[in-house]
Amino acid sequence: MRFPKKKRYLPETADMFRYAPRDDIAPWLATAGKAAFDRFAAVGLPSSRLERWKFSNIATILKKYSADPLVYDAVSSDPHVRQGQADAQEAWVRELVDALPPNHEKYGDMALWDLNTASIQDVMVVDIPEDMIVKDPIRLDFAGKDGAFLPARLIIRLGARAQLAVIEHHEGQGAYWRNHVTRIVLGEGARLDHYRIQNDSPAALHLQMTAIDLAARAAYHGFTLTEGASFARHQAEAVLQGAQAHVAFNGINLLKDRQHSDTTLEAEHRAPSCTSSQLLRSVVDDQARGVFQGKVYVDRVAQKTDGYQLSNALLLSEGAEMDTKPELEIYADDVKCSHGATTGQLDSEPLFYLRSRGLSEQEARHLLIEAFVGEVVDQLADESVKTLVTERLARWLKR
Amino acid sequence: MIRIENLHVEIDGKEILKGLDLTLEPGKVHAIMGPNGSGKSTLSYVLAGHESYTVTAGSVSYEGKNLLDMEPEERAALGVFLAFQYPVEIPGVQMSNFLRTAVNAVRRLRDEQELDALAFLKLAREKMKALGVQEDMLKRPVNVGASGGEKKRNEVLQMAMLEPRFAVLDETDSGLDIDALKIVAEGVNQLRNPERTFLVITHYQRLLDYIRPDIVHVLAQGRIVKTGGPELAQQLEAEGYAAFTGEQAA
Ligand SMILES: Nc1ncnc2c1ncn2[C@@H]1O[C@H](COP(=O)(O)OP(=O)(O)OP(=O)(O)O)[C@@H](O)[C@H]1O
Ligand SMILES: [Mg+2]
Repeated sequence: MRFPKKKRYLPETADMFRYAPRDDIAPWLATAGKAAFDRFAAVGLPSSRLERWKFSNIATILKKYSADPLVYDAVSSDPHVRQGQADAQEAWVRELVDALPPNHEKYGDMALWDLNTASIQDVMVVDIPEDMIVKDPIRLDFAGKDGAFLPARLIIRLGARAQLAVIEHHEGQGAYWRNHVTRIVLGEGARLDHYRIQNDSPAALHLQMTAIDLAARAAYHGFTLTEGASFARHQAEAVLQGAQAHVAFNGINLLKDRQHSDTTLEAEHRAPSCTSSQLLRSVVDDQARGVFQGKVYVDRVAQKTDGYQLSNALLLSEGAEMDTKPELEIYADDVKCSHGATTGQLDSEPLFYLRSRGLSEQEARHLLIEAFVGEVVDQLADESVKTLVTERLARWLKR
Repeated sequence: MIRIENLHVEIDGKEILKGLDLTLEPGKVHAIMGPNGSGKSTLSYVLAGHESYTVTAGSVSYEGKNLLDMEPEERAALGVFLAFQYPVEIPGVQMSNFLRTAVNAVRRLRDEQELDALAFLKLAREKMKALGVQEDMLKRPVNVGASGGEKKRNEVLQMAMLEPRFAVLDETDSGLDIDALKIVAEGVNQLRNPERTFLVITHYQRLLDYIRPDIVHVLAQGRIVKTGGPELAQQLEAEGYAAFTGEQAA
């Protein structure tokens, strides 16, 4: 397969997919799915000509598969995602499935979202009514198996003042392709802690879009641990629709071998007095490559916005790479926005200090790497997640 | 016994130590005094194994072994300890975690039993109390936000925990208030024994009033230019280094 340059999409890639709905799905879903598939098929997958795909060239990834042209049935084949309550609350599920992600019009790079819509047979829904505070986190396992195309759709809606923590756990074996969408709608004063543990198989392709709408005073605390997949991309967009809403995107990348991990975030401030922060710590070893594209958009009406972005990367080998592109787009005048990015190696002075006290070079390096990601780990509100992340980090270091 | 012979050391292509000879005896406290920039810290870094310093000639034998061949952690295991002139701040690394890892690394390499969390805490608290180190130090990141004096006490705490056989104290007195100086000196004096060697680098007689040295050396322009008894320190305090730097220049 050859991909001509300078195209924003790769129409040829549409041939890799076939619209094949199951017989037993609701007619409206079949209709919506077909329409979405047609939209997708008209353009194909995004190319790196699209700003948000600048550092993630899916064409090169697909070349790996091109010797063995796979055709993916655009159908969910994974029983783990068949847990929804779609029947009981079909009307609003339908509404949420139909709802376009907030930035669809603006960026026009929603081919993957359409592909996801075309493929959903089962929608996983978590719907928490007003004022309900769920104490224990809900853990959702998204398994992957060799040869599968996994277009899961997770919808989380919190009524006013409701509180919930959700852990998305991505794991699997073999080569599979995840095209996951999580759609989140938070009512006034609601709070969601959303943890993603991305530990997909080393051969997997992991694509996820997370789209969040926040009403006034709602808070979204997102965290992602990216450790798995050969090619991973998480694009998360939060639209702060009501005053005093808060969004935090935190993340840790642990990358090795030839892994590629792209974190593309946007906080879109459309109401006054909202806050958003983006904090990513990446540890990149071997020939791996991390990408951070963070954006804060501030609408004219969004006065008193406080927006913050920071990406710090630690490169552990010569071949490791980190690309960062922080961006501010501001139309209000009374705002406080800052962004920063650092990329570096372990400092030699602390290393020497630790070794002079008897720590082996490896122990010293591990301690310093733990310290580097520690600031993000410390911010984790859920103890079980904190323990999990700490254990995963220890295992990653000892590999 | 530590024997340093004809030591030449460069950093970034600049020669700092220019044929330094020095023999340190077990059980003794040696003091080194010398002008700013003469190479005192360079010597201490080289002894501890800092890789930025290149040894271009000479040797250092430590209890019969070639010290210069060893990694910093091997030296630590064999009992070499450097109290840094400028202790390094390590954000995110908790003091207790660091110190326990260090103590156990060294104990492991010395074939001693490792300390569990409880035993470690007990020992650390005991030493901290003796050295007047604040209890909350253990919970803080290593040296971060600590005052100059607190950092120096922290170095001495680490020394007390690691029980070295050869301790180099690089201007541990600078930054300490008078009370702290006494406490720290007392800490050092308690560690004095017939097997342990101390190399105390200082600019001031005051420290040597509390830690009585057996032998005093003058380091100037990259060499040991004079060795004497404790009275040499007093002489320097009175007359300065002009005589030595002058001799060298002549
Ligand atoms: N990275 C470097 N590149 C070049 N010169 C250096 C470097 N580090 C140190 N030096 C020089 O080496 C010389 C010796 O420094 P050193 O720190 O050993 O002196 P010192 O005797 O400990 O001084 P002080 O009493 O001020 O602590 C100084 O002239 C210093 O400027
Ligand atoms: Mg010095």
